[in-house]
Amino acid sequence: MVKLTIDGVPITAPKGTLVIEAARQAGIMIPHFCYHPKLKWDANCRMCLVEIERVPKLQTSCSTPVAEGMVVRTATTAVTQAHKSVLEFILANHPLDCPVCDQGGRCDLQDFSHEYTPTTSRFIEVKRIFPKEYFSALIETQMNRCVQCLRCVRYCDEVMDVKALAPAGRGTMTEIKHFTHHELDCEFCGGCVQICPVGAITSRLSMYEYRPWMLKRADTICTYCGDGCQITIQTKENKLIEVNTAHGAGRNNGDLCARGFFGYHASTHPDRLQHPLVRRNGELVQATWEEALGFVAETCIRLKMEHGAEAFAGLIASRCTNEDLYVFQKFMRLAIGTNRIDSSARYGQINGVRALRRVQGTHRWAVTFEDIVAADALLLVGTNITETNPITGLKVKEAVKKRTATLLTVDALVPAVGTISNIANLAAHHFPVHPDRFGHVVLGLIKAVVEDGLVDQALAHRAPAYVQAIGDAVQALSWPALESATGTTSGALREAARIFARAARGVVLVGQGVLRSPGGYGLTTNLLDLLLLTGQHGRPGCGLAPLAEENNDQGAVEMGTVAEYLPGPCDLNDPTARERIAGLWKEELPKGPGRTLTETLEEARTGKVKAMFVVGENPVGSLPHAARAKDALAQLELLVCQELFLTETAALAHVVLPACSYAEKDGSFTNTEGLVQPVRRAIEPIGESRPDWEILSALSVLMGYPIEYGDAKEILKEIRSLIPGYGLLGAGPNPPRPDEAVVSRYLREGYAEDLANRYAATQPTEKRTGHFTLLVTQSLFHSGKFSTRSTGLLEIQNTGVLGLNPADAARLGVTDGDRVRVSNTLGELTAPIKLLERIPEGLAVFPEHFDEEARRLLGVSTDPQTRVPYCKSAQVVIEKL
Amino acid sequence: MPSYEPILTKNMLTPGYTGSLVDYERAGGYQALRKVLGKIAPDDVTAMVIKSGLRGRGGAGFPTGVKWGFLPKDYTGPRYLCCNADESEPGTFKDRQLIERDPHQMLEGMAITCYAIGAETAYIYIRGEFVLGAKILEKALAEARAAGYIGRNILGTGINIEMWLHRGAGAYICGEETALLESLEGKRGLPRVKPPFPATHGLYNKPTVVNNVETLANLPYIVNRGPEWFASIGSPPKSTGTRIFCVSGHVKRPGNYEVPMGITCRELIFEHAGGMRSDKPLKAIIPGGASAAFFTDQHLDVKLDFESVAQAGSMLGSGGVTIMEEGTSMVWAALRLMEFFYHESCGKCTPCREGTSWLVQTMRRIWTRRGRLEDLETLTDLCQNIAGRTVCAFGDAAIAPITSTLKHWRHEYEELIRTAEAAGSAELVMPATRH
Ligand SMILES: Cc1cc2nc3c(=O)[nH]c(=O)nc-3n(C[C@H](O)[C@H](O)[C@H](O)COP(=O)(O)O)c2cc1C
Ligand code: SF4
Ligand code: SF4
Ligand code: SF4
Ligand code: FES
Repeated sequence: MVKLTIDGVPITAPKGTLVIEAARQAGIMIPHFCYHPKLKWDANCRMCLVEIERVPKLQTSCSTPVAEGMVVRTATTAVTQAHKSVLEFILANHPLDCPVCDQGGRCDLQDFSHEYTPTTSRFIEVKRIFPKEYFSALIETQMNRCVQCLRCVRYCDEVMDVKALAPAGRGTMTEIKHFTHHELDCEFCGGCVQICPVGAITSRLSMYEYRPWMLKRADTICTYCGDGCQITIQTKENKLIEVNTAHGAGRNNGDLCARGFFGYHASTHPDRLQHPLVRRNGELVQATWEEALGFVAETCIRLKMEHGAEAFAGLIASRCTNEDLYVFQKFMRLAIGTNRIDSSARYGQINGVRALRRVQGTHRWAVTFEDIVAADALLLVGTNITETNPITGLKVKEAVKKRTATLLTVDALVPAVGTISNIANLAAHHFPVHPDRFGHVVLGLIKAVVEDGLVDQALAHRAPAYVQAIGDAVQALSWPALESATGTTSGALREAARIFARAARGVVLVGQGVLRSPGGYGLTTNLLDLLLLTGQHGRPGCGLAPLAEENNDQGAVEMGTVAEYLPGPCDLNDPTARERIAGLWKEELPKGPGRTLTETLEEARTGKVKAMFVVGENPVGSLPHAARAKDALAQLELLVCQELFLTETAALAHVVLPACSYAEKDGSFTNTEGLVQPVRRAIEPIGESRPDWEILSALSVLMGYPIEYGDAKEILKEIRSLIPGYGLLGAGPNPPRPDEAVVSRYLREGYAEDLANRYAATQPTEKRTGHFTLLVTQSLFHSGKFSTRSTGLLEIQNTGVLGLNPADAARLGVTDGDRVRVSNTLGELTAPIKLLERIPEGLAVFPEHFDEEARRLLGVSTDPQTRVPYCKSAQVVIEKL
Repeated sequence: MPSYEPILTKNMLTPGYTGSLVDYERAGGYQALRKVLGKIAPDDVTAMVIKSGLRGRGGAGFPTGVKWGFLPKDYTGPRYLCCNADESEPGTFKDRQLIERDPHQMLEGMAITCYAIGAETAYIYIRGEFVLGAKILEKALAEARAAGYIGRNILGTGINIEMWLHRGAGAYICGEETALLESLEGKRGLPRVKPPFPATHGLYNKPTVVNNVETLANLPYIVNRGPEWFASIGSPPKSTGTRIFCVSGHVKRPGNYEVPMGITCRELIFEHAGGMRSDKPLKAIIPGGASAAFFTDQHLDVKLDFESVAQAGSMLGSGGVTIMEEGTSMVWAALRLMEFFYHESCGKCTPCREGTSWLVQTMRRIWTRRGRLEDLETLTDLCQNIAGRTVCAFGDAAIAPITSTLKHWRHEYEELIRTAEAAGSAELVMPATRH
């Protein structure tokens, strides 16, 4: 610690602290523009000058570290004169157009000018004026207001690693531009808008709509992915005006992605369902809540009498709050009496949770975002992390760029610079393999660990049989076979294995490419084996982190809205858990089996299931045609949907009940790292919509099994009494330690049951010439169920464009914008193409949010152990149109 | 006219000398390199340079050996030497001649420096407009490489020194050492905030020495003839050796003159450069490039060495000496220089970016008879608000023409303003201004 005084106040600050920060901590605000705690200092604005005793010239406090005995003065005549003069310089060319500037009211320049400068200026020369240039549909620039602090440019480079912005021109003619001649093409994270201290970069979505002091604010959590960013929704007269986040706020540390920053209008989309709908004479017609709920309750009672509770099933979207999810499963189990419930966590999240529970007895990560940043080696498998979990991606970037962690990546994409991050670009070792061969790379890594003596000694001692068994299994694999399957050398695999094993802290991140692809559960388990073998398992800061896709995938599992779990999550058949829950609920739990998504659909098709509650889920719109969800649901005698929009599934329903979006309700979400965070209402419910839990609660009353709560807080209280980890909302994550008893059991016997399968290097299907692998993946600009209703995100991406490697495109004789026909035995589609260097030859990538057509081409297989439906890729032929 | 022994320009003044490797070797070239490589410990080479008193010829005049000594001793990673051949200071044209007429001399100096500082890679950052110079250097580099003076295992000593030529793209600021490094790294050429200095965080954040062409060209002679010899030339102890003064302006014989430091302005102008062009009296002298404050005829007897020029209120800078005769408008001269500084301000920091633009506009207004008396106070104020508050030394340089002309010739400003007022054209708005 260093002792110094600032304006006479004695201060102690850690070595390396900048004077401006030390002052801030002491409550002394030094005016500044270019400094931002998130960025490396650049000291270009010269606003933060201070006097330091025994230093002849004024010094920039943003670039001067504290020193022992330093005496700093921030308010002397000389300093104030300097502040005034820098402001005078900045204002010289500034257009002074505050009345029409969106930053007005929260502008650093405005504030400092009020503080330091007179109301008149002696500048009588001609102001520099930049010709207005169109910048982009979402981000507006007004370069005459720019103070050239380069915060936007530095943010885009240092934090986002996108480098879309640059200063162009010299001297007063310096303006911030993007690198291209066409409009801005970047990740649209909005970071430049947020970090600009003045009104030079603003959001077009809220242009001219407000003054900051008119806005009502609600701190809540974004619903677009599992990262769980804290956002502040700002509203005016129940209209959503803008979203931003406070510096340093939330797990996102004040950063957002395009979905969080620009995606907020979905909640107030004109297509929002405003009233309950009931099917009469084949048509869905408007009804009152009484009519609709009365009809549902009556029909349920009748069907239950006729067919029993086991003829019911429920599906819920994991975008719902924990409170919704909890009440849903309680409703299904008590009011209906069935365990046939599942949620969208089934699409992949469950693979990660099951593997964690199996090997280490936890259902949450044993690591946090901080551990990712602090890791020395990071292994990313099956994810271009920025596109699915942008903020977790920032943690990876921070680890690599600022803390020089070594990044190892296994993914289908190849390193190539583009407008959107490609995490492989930062990798020390990247293994670009076909999506069905990620497992081969991991086997190669494990083989290298075993053969190169990298197995942790303590483990070898603790579980010789386990080490022996895995050793035997990988010895049985031949290097030539692995090399040919992965297209890499054993040398590269050995090098990567060595880096990972030797790292002081190793973290493995597993993405959709694994969790949602055939063999996902087994491969995730193998990655835990890799951690165990290298001794990276169980150490603080080390572990496996499966990336949650939906905002509350983790909550859905913990609330027990999946086929295999009760709240906790506890195994459905765990007698102690059942007893405890029954005790709390004062009601016996149903004895029947749980059923997963695909099983439920099958039972609906065969007529075993007659009635379904579908809350926010849209199997018809999400699963490929081959899953025949539509046929299955059409058989039902009762389909009740709680929805925001009339989705493909809701369109089949007998009753559609309008539900609130996250912006209209209170509750909580549990993010990918297992942090429970508060969701707060920002606007009044749209139309007659009600929170999902409230709808279910109302129904329960009508059905004679009242499950009643005064508000979301009461539900949370009940959750808290049942499920660990739901205490103080939003407090930093407190990751569980692996349960050593479970680990021991796994090492003793647990590993063995499927070892042969997991360690078989299945001969990958040889690709037929002329055939492509079509991958349907999430894009950075669309995720969850509502992004395609967001005007902002549609501005960035509004059609399905097929990404192809330029060499493939050349062979097909097509180029950017040309249309192609993509077909296989199941169907065909036509789509325009875009050439992308990062897509390897033989692969074609299509965005899942525009896959209405593409879903026709996809087959479905289910995981034999976790019943996860795998339906994201297909073999296709592509022809020029 | 007193005549002095030329050092750096000796070869090129020899009739028939082409600057080829053969010519250079014949004149004793690369002997110094042979003498030091593996034979004198690198630290002893540095000590020798310190002893010689050699100071930087690029502008700041920092003692060269001392600068080398700042490189971290225990650092084992790469180190770099960058030769600053960006020479863009108005009125300065000595490096160009050193490059074009005797390229091996500076290459040898660079090799010696690399050896002394333990650098295996050196870059020459040459001004983009020096097309001929770049060609000549490329050829010289090829010759030296072929002869084994640079490259791997130089002269069989096991020492590796690679040298690369990098052409600038036309920004004056890229002559500032840290902007040069940024530019060399492929980034926008903006100065870095110092500290940290290049000695510890230079090219690619590695320990780096940046030296001017002329500075480097001196090294073979210091090695060959000894530091004591060098230290005896000029005005020891603080300004040793010769300077190549680039004399331009209203003199009879503009050109480069290599003379010992410490001769007077008067001697340089009237003895060497042939006196005033049209025998009008001398009015003003810029002693050290556009960044240096103006001298008047009262300064003719100031000695041209670092201390004396500084004491008289200017700086020796890059050695560009510009002479103006009676009749030259000092407002116009200052405006002309301001136009340059305004055009070249990189824009990184506020006071310089905004200040140069404001200053140049006010100067234009005064020059076009639209000034008013308050303008002079504003000019003074603005200059004060730039001084010492910028990222790099450009800011201080940019105000020198105005502050010094206001100091010595304030009446010329006032006269222009009085004419403006008399003519009633105190209409202050300028016609369309080009930014
Ligand atoms: C605006 C500016 C421009 C400069 N231009 C040059 C230049 O063109 N050539 C040069 O050698 N030094 C130039 N310098 C000085 C360099 O920053 C640096 O001091 C010099 O290269 C160090 O070499 P030396 O110690 O051998 O003089 C410039 C400095 C400033 C502030
Ligand atoms: S646009 Fe804003 S953040 Fe970017 S340089 Fe200008 S003032 Fe700074
Ligand atoms: S989509 Fe995910 S990363 Fe983006 S702002 Fe929302 S929670 Fe954060
Ligand atoms: S003083 Fe001028 S040239 Fe130097 S960094 Fe600042 S703006 Fe650029
Ligand atoms: S905040 Fe310190 S120079 Fe800009």
